[in-house]
Amino acid sequence: MTRPRATRTRTTRTVVIGVGNPILSDDSVGIRIARQVQCCLGAAMPDAGDVEVTEMYAGGLRLMEALTGYDRAFLIDAVETGDGPPGTVHTFARQDLRALRNVSGVHDTSLGMALQVADRLSLPLPSDIRIWGVEIEDGMAFGEELTPAVAAAVPRVVGAVLAALQS
Amino acid sequence: MTKRITIDPITRLEGHGKIEIFLDDAGDVEHTYFQVPELRGFEQFCLGRKAEDMPNITNRICGVCPEAHHMAATKALDAVFGVEPPPAAKKIRELFYSAFYVTDHTTHFYALGGPDFIVGPDAPASERNILGVIAKVGVEIGRKVIDCRSRNHGIIKLLGGRAIHPTAGLPGGWSRAIAETERAHIEQVARDNIDFALFSLQAFDDLVLKNTAYLELILSDVYVHRTYGMGTVDANGQVNFYDGQIRVVDPAGSVFAQYDAADYAQHLSETVLPYSYLKYPYLKRVGWHGFEDGARSGIYAATPLTRLNVTEGMPTPRAQEHFDRMYATFGCAKVTDRRYAPIHHRLATHWARLIELLYASERMLELATDPEITSPLVRVIPERIVGEGVGSVEAPRGTLTHHYKTDERGLLTMVNLIVGTTNNHAAITLSIKKAAQSLIKKGSVVTDGILNKVEMAFRLYDPCLSCATHSLPGHMPLIVRIRDRQGALVQELRQDS
Repeated sequence: MTRPRATRTRTTRTVVIGVGNPILSDDSVGIRIARQVQCCLGAAMPDAGDVEVTEMYAGGLRLMEALTGYDRAFLIDAVETGDGPPGTVHTFARQDLRALRNVSGVHDTSLGMALQVADRLSLPLPSDIRIWGVEIEDGMAFGEELTPAVAAAVPRVVGAVLAALQS
Repeated sequence: MTKRITIDPITRLEGHGKIEIFLDDAGDVEHTYFQVPELRGFEQFCLGRKAEDMPNITNRICGVCPEAHHMAATKALDAVFGVEPPPAAKKIRELFYSAFYVTDHTTHFYALGGPDFIVGPDAPASERNILGVIAKVGVEIGRKVIDCRSRNHGIIKLLGGRAIHPTAGLPGGWSRAIAETERAHIEQVARDNIDFALFSLQAFDDLVLKNTAYLELILSDVYVHRTYGMGTVDANGQVNFYDGQIRVVDPAGSVFAQYDAADYAQHLSETVLPYSYLKYPYLKRVGWHGFEDGARSGIYAATPLTRLNVTEGMPTPRAQEHFDRMYATFGCAKVTDRRYAPIHHRLATHWARLIELLYASERMLELATDPEITSPLVRVIPERIVGEGVGSVEAPRGTLTHHYKTDERGLLTMVNLIVGTTNNHAAITLSIKKAAQSLIKKGSVVTDGILNKVEMAFRLYDPCLSCATHSLPGHMPLIVRIRDRQGALVQELRQDS
């Protein structure tokens, strides 16, 4: 969905989206990272441009709609690729989207598919879409804590996202 | 030698959820089931928390129908705190809920279920998706779909407080009233929704009903199950998504039971089976007799189609026209002045969903133009703790029930949810089995088209297992594995989207 926002000319408009379920243990890691990114924004980061931080627990069309209208979109999600132990941080490009945990869902298309729909309908997609995926251990049990290895990855990803915002 | 065919979605690389088809020695289907891992520990997570937190916890169970969980939880809290919301609050809740229905049914038809028909059941999986739909019907219609979602997400945010996880539901009412300028905007959105729903029904007519092959598929025996059907009805016996009594009709169309949602445990039981995490609810009075349909099996379904099977006609005029047309197409006689004998052809669920899309749009307009909708009286403050409550709504994919008990401080001591899809677990299994039996015979070659039709058997239920469990294939790449009894791989077919 395209949302109205203050127009700031000559600034890059970035949306940072933490994807996951906040009460499903490690599945929440993207959301936790996004919240910390939000806390770090402000006067300390004059070069970050116009940044909006949001949370989603929905993939596909809903997520695509949330990032249309921005110049850059940074997504953070939990992944279960098996490529590395829990806490391993992967970076993905748009074509790798299938590997993410929450960006494809049963009642929606995959985000990759949704982005193709946006292209087809000429919706204004960000030219720069970056994705961080944190390898998780337990995303099937309700709980508000991260497992230790996943928790340890949080500051690293927060740092990476903040650095990317200033790049 | 028993062979096993597995339809295995690989949206997550470890492959959550699968359909297994067991073949007997003759190459015929012996048994099928679908299996999904379950999210763990929800009740434990909730116990000891304040009951009033539940609308904001349960709406996070799932990203698909947070609005339905929010509403069922809010209604359960009305009961827990023994408080009756003012009329305007109930109407705002239903208005909000109608907007949610419009987005949900629209997404299912165009992005999930519809591609099977619009693009075609025998089309390659890579084309049976929303992109294929856009290719077939045009970019302009794709924009209409996105516009419809967008304007209704806007209403959900306006009324619910947040775009994804609404927060406005409170025991005894709703957190905000509607200003006149907002009401006028909502009215316009409702009118646009009616146009869009009529357009969608016309598209269904042109693309599906006028296609002889598709119509034959819908009318064929492959997708027929004569089970009981469930839906919520108002005081007039007519479908309502937000409130009413639960009605169950038998396979012949007689009302088998009608009860307050609070009495659900008197009418429903659940069985568990060794090979699945899923619970299979059934009608207590009939009993569980395995995966059989008919009046002597307690299996029931709760879907858009069964909601129309239980209703005494549609409450809104345009939806009524399409309702009559659908039942006429299936040759159903009326069993009361306004209700027809049930349609058991499960693929008609897609059609029923579009009729519900129209009803939700018309109901939204009725509510948006109700003089009371802008009343500032939207809350009654609770003053006591009853300690137990049941809240029920029709989620788009079936009756959703929340049941809570609390101690004298209002802290939760028991939480039980029966989510929409759970009602349909047994019926989904029946449908997969029957579709597989009809389509796989004497070792006939397993083609994508056949497996697509098996997938169609469960997709028509719009299964949302992210709250019941986690993931089941929507439009996803499939790996099909045929195994012998020992589990050795005989053949692997792969179908990428």
